[in-house]
Amino acid sequence: MTTLFVAGVGCWAPGLEGWATARAVLRGQTPYASRAVAVPAPERLPANERRRATISVRLAFRVAEDALAGTDLAADALATVFASSDGDTPIVDRVCRALCDRLPSVSPTDFHNSVHNAAAGYWSIATGARGPSVSLSSGDSSFASGLLEAMGIAIVEDRDCLLVAFDVSPPPPLRGPCRIGEPAAVSLLLTQRRRPGSLASLRISMVSPELETPMRDAALETLRRTTPPARALPLLAMLACEAAGSVRLQGAGGRTVALEIGTF
Amino acid sequence: MAHLLVTALHLEAVDAEQLDPDTPLFGTAPGSLALDSIDALEIALAVQRKYGIELRAQDQVTGQIFASLRALSAHVQRCRVHS
Repeated sequence: MTTLFVAGVGCWAPGLEGWATARAVLRGQTPYASRAVAVPAPERLPANERRRATISVRLAFRVAEDALAGTDLAADALATVFASSDGDTPIVDRVCRALCDRLPSVSPTDFHNSVHNAAAGYWSIATGARGPSVSLSSGDSSFASGLLEAMGIAIVEDRDCLLVAFDVSPPPPLRGPCRIGEPAAVSLLLTQRRRPGSLASLRISMVSPELETPMRDAALETLRRTTPPARALPLLAMLACEAAGSVRLQGAGGRTVALEIGTF
Repeated sequence: MAHLLVTALHLEAVDAEQLDPDTPLFGTAPGSLALDSIDALEIALAVQRKYGIELRAQDQVTGQIFASLRALSAHVQRCRVHS
């Protein structure tokens, strides 16, 4: 089993806006208080792209920037994995409404934003990244599947890899099939070698179904269960606490993703 | 028309009331709004929805119509008078 290293973490979720804030909460230094998530302003997007960026793209960018902050890794050298359970459901809603108009015509901007790899496209434009990039969807296990994919890319492609998991709340017509509660995004910057400032080592394997690792705090456990990117919270808690140990995440196909976290 | 553009294109930090009608919409000239091809399509859609006027990319005059807010407004005004 290959070991990778976590060089950076990003988080933007209700009451956990930014890794510094999330880290303090997850270490127990600050009590958790859920509140409506503020829409972040991406720093790396050119003006023409920024004004078209949807909330989901803004969330993805913010956590990607968060993970890169404080590292000297060049964004354009990274492979990327973008994982979203349901994609940009507000855009799906807008496109469907436009098609039902008396004069059916879809906004070019909405069309531009309607693809599942929109966030990856904005990121590659903003950073000039030309490396491998995967955009995937895997329901509630989107973070775990994204992590598996990111670790695979890092090993097979011999590149450091940025994983971004993000989801937004669906508009009312889509709330039946899409069960995402609050908007949230999480990121991990994975490197092949330990670097100055590396937070932890990480090993991953797929195992027979086991219970997921829960959060001890009831409100954080609710967040974990109701928005797919927040499934990463038990891992983020260990990274925040600089603790070694195991985390179990719900994987695709009924299997469990087992993570072994090591500290230095 | 200025309000239509600011709204349809989600223009940041542009006050419709303060927008100079002669400001170039496209290109890199100083003061230009520096809009791009997606914006051109978005403007065409917004004009069609609001005024029922079709702007076609292949029309030779389209470049002149999109030169500035004043040129675009004048074209829409002409089309409304003639329809």
